[in-house]
Amino acid sequence: MDIIVCIKRVPQTAEAEVKIDSTGKDIEKDRLTFDMNESDTYALEEAALMKEKFGGEITVISLGDEDAEETLRIALAKGADNAIRIKAEDFDELDAFQTSQILKSVIKDLSYDIIFTGCISTDDAYSQIGLTLAELLEIPHAALVIDFDANEDRADVQRELEGGLIEHLDVALPALFTIQTGINEPRYASLIAIRRAAKKEIQVIGKDELAQSEFISNSTLEKLYVPPISKQVEILDGTAAESSAKLAGIIKDKGLL
Amino acid sequence: MAKKIINEDINDEIREVLIEEGAEDIYKCYQCGKCTSICPWFQVDMYNFPVYRFSLETSMGMVASSEDKDELAAEIDKIYRCVGCDACVTQCPHGIDTPSILRAARRLLVDFGSYPETLKSTAQKIKNVGNPLGEPAEKRADWAIDLNVPKFQEGMDHLYFPCCLPAYDSRIQNVAKATAKILQQYDISFGILGEKERCCGEAIRKVGAEKVFTEVCKTNIKEFSGSGVKNVLVSSPHCFTTFKNEYPEFGADFETLHITQFLSKLIDEGTIKPSKEFNKKVVYHDPCTLGRKNGVYEEPRNCLKCIPGLELLEVEEFNRNLSVCCGAGSGGLWMEWEKNERIADVRLKQLIDTGADIIAVACPYCLQMFEETLKSMNLEIQVLDVTEILYESL
Ligand code: SF4
Ligand code: SF4
Repeated sequence: MDIIVCIKRVPQTAEAEVKIDSTGKDIEKDRLTFDMNESDTYALEEAALMKEKFGGEITVISLGDEDAEETLRIALAKGADNAIRIKAEDFDELDAFQTSQILKSVIKDLSYDIIFTGCISTDDAYSQIGLTLAELLEIPHAALVIDFDANEDRADVQRELEGGLIEHLDVALPALFTIQTGINEPRYASLIAIRRAAKKEIQVIGKDELAQSEFISNSTLEKLYVPPISKQVEILDGTAAESSAKLAGIIKDKGLL
Repeated sequence: MAKKIINEDINDEIREVLIEEGAEDIYKCYQCGKCTSICPWFQVDMYNFPVYRFSLETSMGMVASSEDKDELAAEIDKIYRCVGCDACVTQCPHGIDTPSILRAARRLLVDFGSYPETLKSTAQKIKNVGNPLGEPAEKRADWAIDLNVPKFQEGMDHLYFPCCLPAYDSRIQNVAKATAKILQQYDISFGILGEKERCCGEAIRKVGAEKVFTEVCKTNIKEFSGSGVKNVLVSSPHCFTTFKNEYPEFGADFETLHITQFLSKLIDEGTIKPSKEFNKKVVYHDPCTLGRKNGVYEEPRNCLKCIPGLELLEVEEFNRNLSVCCGAGSGGLWMEWEKNERIADVRLKQLIDTGADIIAVACPYCLQMFEETLKSMNLEIQVLDVTEILYESL
C-alpha cells in the first residue's frame, strides 16, 4: 500500500510572543522555533502504522523553502521512504487554493492508495488543502478523521463532527483523509533511522519542472492584525441556586461542556 | 525483554557519531557497576536503571536502536531519566562521564524531534522568549520594582544574575529579593540587566538542544561584554557552572561567583555579622551542580553556621559529594515521572528524617522541586534558600 503524506513546516507560536512584521501580512519569525505542523505528525504516524500492516512506501511532500528539508528529514526518520520538496521560493505569496493545485500537479503522477494530510495547519489554519487537493485529484475524501483502518481497497474511518457526534464511513480507495490530532501516538525516530534519514536524498522540484505553470488564486491576504482586546462581564444575581442555574445554562448554551 | 545481541546489531557508524558528540569515555568502562549503585534512580526502588550498560551499549552503537515503537520509547525514556547529578562520574574508578555519553544520544534525538514533548516545549520557550517559563521579557525585573535595584552600568562592581526561576516564579522571587536586600544592606555595588537577561541555557544544553544553548550563550556573552560586565553573582548553581566552565569556550571573559561564595567571604572578613537569633534546626542539602560539580561545599554552610541560634544538621552519609540529587537537573525539573518514580521523594525523606525544621538549599531548581513535592505531603517542614535564612538573621 503506497501512501502520500503532505506536511508543512510551521513556526511554533504557542510559546512565543507573536508580533506582526513590517509588511503587515506576516509575523516576525526570526526568533521562533519551527517544527512539523502538529496534525501532520499524526498523519505521518497513521501512514507509518498502515505501512507496518500492509508494507508499501510512504512519500512525504512539502511545499516549502530549503528549511523545510529539515522537517522532511524528520519524516524520513519516522517512517517515510521518499521525500519531495516543492520549492516555495519559486512562487510569490500563495493562497490555499494555489497550494492545493501545486501539490496536485506533483501528486497526480505518483502512485498512491491513500493520501494523508493534517486536518489544519497551526499557522494559517485554513483547513482547505487536504479537501481541495482531493477534489482536484477527483478522489473521495474524509476530514477530521479520529479513527482509521483499511484493507487493500477500502478504508473504515470515523470522523469527528460538531456537538460530539461521530460519523462512521466506508470509503473506496484511493482516497484522501485529513487527520485529527490525538488519533495515535506519534513515534520517536531511532538513531539508526536518523542516520539513514540524514543520508537520504530529498527530491527537489522547481516551478519550471511542474506540468502546469499557472495556478489560479481565489483569495488575497489583505492584512494581519492583533485583534483588539474586548472584555465582557456579566454579573449573575439571585440566590446561589439561581445564579448557579444561570451559569449552567450559559455553559450549556455556549457548548462549553 | 532482554536484548539478544548479535554481531549484525553492532552499529559502528552510530558509535562513531556518538563519540563525535561527546561519548569518548565509553572504552574506559570495565563494567564494574559502581555507577549503577550510586545513581539516585537506584534508590528509587521502582525503577531499574542500569547505568553501567550505557557505555557498553554506546560502544556497540546500540542506543535508541529498537525498530519497535514502544521499545524505542522505553529506550528514550531511559536516556531522559539521567538528571546529570554526576554521582556516577565521581564514583566511577575511571571517572567516566556517563551523563555526557547520554547527552551525545540526546543531541542526535533532539535534532530529529525525538525527545519528550515537555522538554521540546521548554526548549521552544527558551528560544522564543528567553526563559523556560514562557514569560515575557518585560516582566523579568518585576521582582525588583519595590527594591530600587539599579540597571547594571559600566563601572559597577557586580552584575547580579538571578536565574529565570527567581526572576519570575512568585515564590522563588523571594530569593532574588533576599539576595538584593543583603547586597544593598552592605553597600555592594551591583546592578541587574532586567529585560535584557536571558536564560543561561545550562539545562537545555544537557537536554541535548545544543543549537538553542549556543544561541542563548552567544546572546548573553554579547550583552555582558557590551555592558562592561566583569564580575557576575548568581543565585543558581546552573548559571554558575555554565558561566564558569562552558561560556569561556564561546569567548566569555568575566568572573562568576555563586552568591554563597561571595557572602561567605564577607562573613569571614567580618563584614556580615548576623545578629538576630534563628532558633531552628536547619539541614543543608548540597545541590549537585554546586557541590559535586564545582566543589563548593563549605561556603553555603558557612553562611548558615554564622547565624546565632541556628543548629546545622547533615544528612547522614549522603552529604557533600555523596549528596543525592533533587531530581531537577538536565531537564528533570520539567519531566513528568510517575508518582512512585521520583528522585525528589527519596531525597526529601532523607532530609526530613534528620528532624530538621527547615531544609536549606542554594539552588532555585532544588527549591522548586522540594516545594512542589512537599505540597502534597502536609508537613511542617519548610524549604528556604540560604540567602533567605541569612537575610532573616541580619
Ligand atoms: S562505574 Fe565506571 S567503569 Fe564501572 S560500570 Fe560504571 S561507568 Fe563502567
Ligand atoms: S549523572 Fe546521576 S542520574 Fe545520571 S546516570 Fe549518573 S548518577 Fe545516574
